[in-house]
Amino acid sequence: MSNDADSRREAPDELGFTLADIDRDEAIAEGLSIVHGETRARFLGKLAFGSAALVAGLASPSALAASPEQDVSTLNFDLVFEFLQSSFYLGAVRDGTVAAMRPEKERWARVLGAHEVAHVKILKSVLGKKAVAKPFFNFRGVTEDEAAFTRTAVAMEDLTVALLAGQAPKFHDRNLTAAVFSLLTTEARHAAWARRIAGFVPVAKAFDEPKTLTEVDRVVRRTRFIAARPRTRSRRKPELTG
Amino acid sequence: MQRQRSSPTRTDPVNGSESSTRGDLLLRALTAAGAVGVGGLLVGSLAGPAASAPSPAQDVRILNYFLLLEYLQQGLYEEARAAGGLNGELNRFAAVAARQEREHVASLRSALGGDARSKPEFQFGEAIENERRFGAAAVTLEEAAAAAYIGQAANLTTKRIPMIARMVPVEARHAAWIRGIVGREPAPHAADPAREPHEVEQTIERTGFVKRR
Repeated sequence: MSNDADSRREAPDELGFTLADIDRDEAIAEGLSIVHGETRARFLGKLAFGSAALVAGLASPSALAASPEQDVSTLNFDLVFEFLQSSFYLGAVRDGTVAAMRPEKERWARVLGAHEVAHVKILKSVLGKKAVAKPFFNFRGVTEDEAAFTRTAVAMEDLTVALLAGQAPKFHDRNLTAAVFSLLTTEARHAAWARRIAGFVPVAKAFDEPKTLTEVDRVVRRTRFIAARPRTRSRRKPELTG
Repeated sequence: MQRQRSSPTRTDPVNGSESSTRGDLLLRALTAAGAVGVGGLLVGSLAGPAASAPSPAQDVRILNYFLLLEYLQQGLYEEARAAGGLNGELNRFAAVAARQEREHVASLRSALGGDARSKPEFQFGEAIENERRFGAAAVTLEEAAAAAYIGQAANLTTKRIPMIARMVPVEARHAAWIRGIVGREPAPHAADPAREPHEVEQTIERTGFVKRR
């Protein structure tokens, strides 16, 4: 898909990376262009490649049309969390915190940010009109301070793992479960990478502890990073059912 | 031998940086000829991701598939630790991962009960004697396990998925950690690809780690 103008235009320029840099097999760029522009039939043809379970599962015809409202709510919760993460990394880039890091660490922060931006785009594309709007964030100085940024990144990545490990089994649609597993492993890599960068053991336990939506929501509220939740575009508010 | 079904530009974590030894080449030749292949050892008949209706019988096949991958990882790390050739962070990784894979093996065996497959005999060769070979082998096995879990976890029956969902991120954390240690990008994709059972089986065959019967 090297001739795909759409996916290039949507690349996260602010991070100094394009999706093509990050996603070496171009599965995401391909998936995005497909979700945006191509017919379902054409997409299914490409599904045979199976190159990214996330894109495949999320964009399959059955993914949302037939999904119970609870699956949509859960995806929307995940979307808010991806908004939070992408804004957090973008904020640290904008504040100059990332550019001041040692090269290895700078790459870590930029790659994670680019991945979270990609996750936002994918979830938004899949949810379409049912996607919640982006909340307003206030990181309260955390993105300006390297040590605080790093600590928070570790906690946020571990929390994402706990969220997705808890949610993946609960989707009614097995395509979504399969898709979220490929998101879960990416977030787990982020968490391990963040912990290693911060000097912690990357893998603390043999089993990650899942958290319910309610538990994760409580943690996020405590940070007060979400300054205001805009009204959802869908008529129904996302339900917090763990 | 190496067919890239997903995308011609995809970097294969298995063969990306490893050179072939004569032993590898011989094994490939043997496998290709079907002489004493371990075909079927791993997977029997498993379908692609989220493609088949879950059933208790299918659970047994999938969990045994995962169990073999966990046996392999546990075996590599324990034998490398016993051989005593690892230093620094590589040694810490092997110690931590060995303990965690052992717990995964125990959980899978407990879930499988009498249906659990027995542990095959392994021959890790240079991978437990040489740090560079060990690092490459660990990346290969961790990536194979993570991709195998992504590919098959959603085919399990509902009651089996929560336990697996807690193990999957641990395999991905191991993969990121060992990649970081050996100087490779810990998270090379925005969304990790799944691998189908036959691809994983080919990967395992290419390592030559499972002894032929």
